[in-house]
Amino acid sequence: MNQEPNIRVLLVDDEENLLEYLSKRLLKLGFTVKVTFSGEEAITAATEQHYDVAVVDLKMPGIDGVETQKRLREVQPYIQCIVLTGHGSIESALESGQEDAFQYLLKPVDYDNLLTNIEEAYKKRVELQREDFSKQLETIQRAGLGAHGMRKAIKELREIYGIE
Amino acid sequence: MESNNSLLAELKKVTQELASHKIELYQTRSYLQCILQNATDLIFATDAEDAVVSFSKGGEKVLGYSWEEIMGRPIKDFAEDRVSFGYLIATCQEEGSAVGLDVRFRHKDGKTVFCNISLLNLTNREGQRVGAVGICQDITQWKQLQEDLIRVDRLAEIGRIAAGVAHEINNPLAVINEVSGWTGEVVRDAKGLGPDDRQELEKAVAQIGGQTKRCRTITHKLLDFARDSAPVKSQFDIDELLKETISFLKPEVKYTSIKIDVNSAERPLLVNSDRRLLEQVFVNFITNAIHAVQERGEDTGHIQITAVKTNSDIEIRFQDDGVGIPADMQTKIFDLFFTTKPPGKGTGLGLPICKNIVKNLGGDITLESQVGVGTTFTVRIPIA
Repeated sequence: MNQEPNIRVLLVDDEENLLEYLSKRLLKLGFTVKVTFSGEEAITAATEQHYDVAVVDLKMPGIDGVETQKRLREVQPYIQCIVLTGHGSIESALESGQEDAFQYLLKPVDYDNLLTNIEEAYKKRVELQREDFSKQLETIQRAGLGAHGMRKAIKELREIYGIE
Repeated sequence: MESNNSLLAELKKVTQELASHKIELYQTRSYLQCILQNATDLIFATDAEDAVVSFSKGGEKVLGYSWEEIMGRPIKDFAEDRVSFGYLIATCQEEGSAVGLDVRFRHKDGKTVFCNISLLNLTNREGQRVGAVGICQDITQWKQLQEDLIRVDRLAEIGRIAAGVAHEINNPLAVINEVSGWTGEVVRDAKGLGPDDRQELEKAVAQIGGQTKRCRTITHKLLDFARDSAPVKSQFDIDELLKETISFLKPEVKYTSIKIDVNSAERPLLVNSDRRLLEQVFVNFITNAIHAVQERGEDTGHIQITAVKTNSDIEIRFQDDGVGIPADMQTKIFDLFFTTKPPGKGTGLGLPICKNIVKNLGGDITLESQVGVGTTFTVRIPIA
């Protein structure tokens, strides 16, 4: 199912049992998975390593899914968030004044639907990132830096975009 | 002669006075008559033995009895609780008047009529009691409204609690869902399982997944029900929405010969309402109609949908020739969790949700049904 080399998924949910099994299934398919049990933990994880897609529960003790999502994007502007909600419908989730997530899914979530969404979110991330990356790369090239300076600038860019 | 003349004058004067009194009496009587004929209240008079001697037209309406049926009978015969009504009369006899709140009378058809009553003694010139007059105000409707309000309040409370519960249940459900998914994968990859065991396990895991989905449907519907968001209004064509809904439901009747027709009086039938919510209502009524037809056991049936414009509303009728709804169930079908479908098929949420939606859109739902003939649900929504 997972043709892309390595999608890095950050899971955020206070329901530990859920993440235990969800992560097992995603790992089995070849995803890189990081499990965190709170928004705070997720943000710390995001400052240490790059992720492509975050799957965030809406209702958590501490900072909730909306806030987590917002702060994750502050740390990693290209991360795509899929928000899981126990609310009755997507509309009600949207009504409670949420930031634009890549997708809202209802809990309990249909696994295949989740996979499709993770893959699409990843594609969107790559697309956005490539666009900006190539633009900035052009700027660097036009800046007329020496070989050493350019290598350094590109390395910096790679770090920002999480391209290894 | 002199005395004769003065006598004549006196007589004339008395006659004149009498005539004017007569007119006054006549006027007072017709005034009273007018009150008794036109008042909506139950007004009665009794003699000293508490038997009815006068009864207002409004009273006939309140109690359902005609004037002839009531005349001469003791008034307390019509009270639900004769003993306490007797006390009320006794108080009036002793103190000259009495007031009773929420006194219950029994209507001719058996229903309870709630009245606020005030009783007043009638006395003759010597001050002896010759009867009583009672004025009763029918407050049944007001009472009912009050009870309805309490019920609506309670329902809203149940809705809130149910939504809270549903929300909490979604979390463990999500866990069960993942665990069963994982188990399925483990079984698929397991070596050393006999084919029979493998099949058994796969079936069992599929069951867990399926049943989880079933729970999910319930919790999501419940949350939908409790969701109390303001409708988002836009202008659209009812006829078009009906046709779209039907084409969406086509798969349900694919292998049957159930016919679904839409008959709109005019096209387009523009309305300013919430399209998404109304679609949900339409899906519900059409699906119910399909089930009603299928329940009859034959594979043919006809569902006729008619949309017409009245003054300020649009009426959409969903008419089926299905099994019909027995009279005693017609009031219950809009109750939360009431269902006649077998376990796992109905949630008892569809119609209450529809009722809620249509109410929020400013309309109402009525139904006509006869067992063996069919059912017609009419949804009325305001155009703007």
